[in-house]
Parts: sequence; C-alpha cells; structure tokens
Amino acid sequence: MSAEAETATRTYRPPMGAGWWTRKGHYFWYMVREFTALPLALWLLWLLYEIQRAGRGPSGYYPPNSTAFVIFSAICLPFALYHSFTFLKLAGVILRVKLLDKPLASGVIVATMFGTWLVASVVVGAVLIGFGR
Amino acid sequence: MADKRITIRATRFDPEKDKSPRLQSYDIPFSDDSMVVLDALNYIKSHVDGSLSYRWSCRMGICGSCGMTVNGTPKLTCSAFLRDYWPRSVTVTPLNNFPIVRDLVVDMEDFMHKLKSIKPWIIRKQEIPLGAGEHRQTMDQIGEFRQFSQCINCMLCYAACPVYGLDNEFLGPAAIALARRYNLDSRDQGTKERLPMIAHPDGIWECSFVGECSVVCPKGVDPAKAIQQTKLDTTMRFVLPYGNRE
Repeated sequence: MSAEAETATRTYRPPMGAGWWTRKGHYFWYMVREFTALPLALWLLWLLYEIQRAGRGPSGYYPPNSTAFVIFSAICLPFALYHSFTFLKLAGVILRVKLLDKPLASGVIVATMFGTWLVASVVVGAVLIGFGR
Repeated sequence: MADKRITIRATRFDPEKDKSPRLQSYDIPFSDDSMVVLDALNYIKSHVDGSLSYRWSCRMGICGSCGMTVNGTPKLTCSAFLRDYWPRSVTVTPLNNFPIVRDLVVDMEDFMHKLKSIKPWIIRKQEIPLGAGEHRQTMDQIGEFRQFSQCINCMLCYAACPVYGLDNEFLGPAAIALARRYNLDSRDQGTKERLPMIAHPDGIWECSFVGECSVVCPKGVDPAKAIQQTKLDTTMRFVLPYGNRE
C-alpha cells in the first residue's frame, strides 16, 4: 500500500435526496418560480400553432374561436403573471445601471421595470382590442 | 430558579468505525443567555465528550471557521444564540454538500481549489514600482466592489446552494463573488485571466438563481447578485463590439 493510500482519510458524502426543495420555503418558492415557466412555454407553443393556422387565410385564424385555447390561456395567465412578477422583482439584483456615474438604487430599477410592464400591457391590450373590433 | 438546560444533538462520524454519520444527544446547562452554539459544543468537548471534533477559531464571526448546519440552516455557530432555539433542542450537523471527514468537520479541499482557480488577488499587467506611490481609488470606485470583499470564506453559501449540492463541479457562490470583487476593482487588470473559469459551463451559467446563498451569508455579501451581474457583463463582452475591452 502506498504512503498516499495509507494516509488518505475516508470521508462520507451525504446523498442529496430528490426532495431537497421541500426542506426550506425558499427552495420551494424557487421551484414554483421555475415551474411557472412550463405552462408559459406550452402556451407559446400553442400560440405558434394558432399563428401557423393564419397561413390558411384570415378565416382560419381566430384563436378565441377555440374554446380549449381560451381555457388553457386562462389557466396559464396566473402562471405568467407570477413568473413575470418574480422576474421583474429580481431585475433590481441583476441589472447594474449607472446614472451620472452613480449606481441607480435597485428599487428604482424594479419600479421602472414594473412601470414599463404596465405601459406595455396597456399598449398591447389596446392594439389587440382595437384590431379585434 | 431551576437551572435551564438545553439538548444539543450533534453529528458523530468516525471514518474508521462508522459507515455513516449518526446523531448523539447531549443535555447541557444553558446558564447564560449570551451562550452561542459554539459555546455549547465547547462545553460538550470540555466536560462531556472530549472526542467531539469541529472547527473553530476566532469565536467572533470573523474567521469563518465554525460554519455548521444549525437546525437545518447553515450558520456560523459563534453567531447562533441558544436563546433563539431554547426550549427546543438544537441539532448541529456538518455543512451540507461537503464530504464529512469526522463528526462536524468537512473536507474543504474542493472549495480551496475553486477559490484559488479564480485568482482572488489583484493582477497587474505591469507592476508599478513601490516608489511610484499607491494605487489611489475614489470612494465610488471602492463602493463598486466593497460588499463582495466582505467574504470570509466560511462556505455557508456552498452549503445553502442546491446547485452545488447536485453538481459539485459548479464553481460556486463565494468563488464567483470574489472573482467579481477583483474584476470590479479599478486597480485590477485580470478580468481576462479569470474569464475562462467564470464563463465556463460550470461557472456562472450553472447557477439558476435560487438565491439562498445571499440569505445565509453572515457578512451581508450578495453572491447571487454577483453571479447574475457577471452573467450580464459576460454576455455584453461577447455581444457588444466594444465589450471585449479591458
């Protein structure tokens, strides 16, 4: 036996179980945050399909006619809102913006992001409702 | 008044005898409200069971040696007051996500290797001779990196990070926070030298922003912030035509 093997210390590595995310509230809400991306992704795939139907002409493309799509959209809405909320709330941590050589407070960045979200939602809503009439 | 007592449950593991760790209970006097978990461990070692092994040094939250898991949360045991747990028992286990060497002592080798890999020192292309004077910095320049320089290498952030727990190849929170500390330092010119480690698939991109590293940090460092901001900076370096500047 080599000297290295003789002096090597046996260690124990505790296994990390599949339920690690139930150990703490913070881990749980992280998983919820990540999970909400899944319905969003599925909704976008469905939307792509609906847009693809537009290739058959205007008569073939009218998503509100699909009851299943409307129901699925209603289910996805709270997930989308929660995911957007958590994403924008974290923007203050991620973004480092300087104004006049001074870093902007993260609260200002977050407020700006939420403000932009609100304005964008109103504009997109107005366009969709306006063109839908 | 009857003397208060508290139950401490500590992990015991002897690599020469045990297959896996076990918990051992100690009922000890809780005589003083200023007692911390480290005091309880020291009491056990001095009066009950001298074979209990754990790391500690300064007992004032500076050296970062006494990090352990206290009732499920990574903490510096010198800063975890028994009064915050009493009359419940206190369970002290080794830091999560690290191999256990003995009792409450974990193997730090992986962390030390990762720490060294990001070159946590000021790198200059050409050193200025001592006679030329000091590298001067404004308060704003110091403010850029100050919070990241508070890290004491206690590894609590690694113990709290499920990403590191699931994949030990991950460079980890403290190492990346320290890399950012030096990259943001106006005296440093070593960003390009650190980039291969930081932008490696096991570097910043492995992090999925759980954020618990920042919650448990005893010194108020925000490693999650360091990692996310480094992701953005690294992307900008890649995308923008002027991004590859020093």
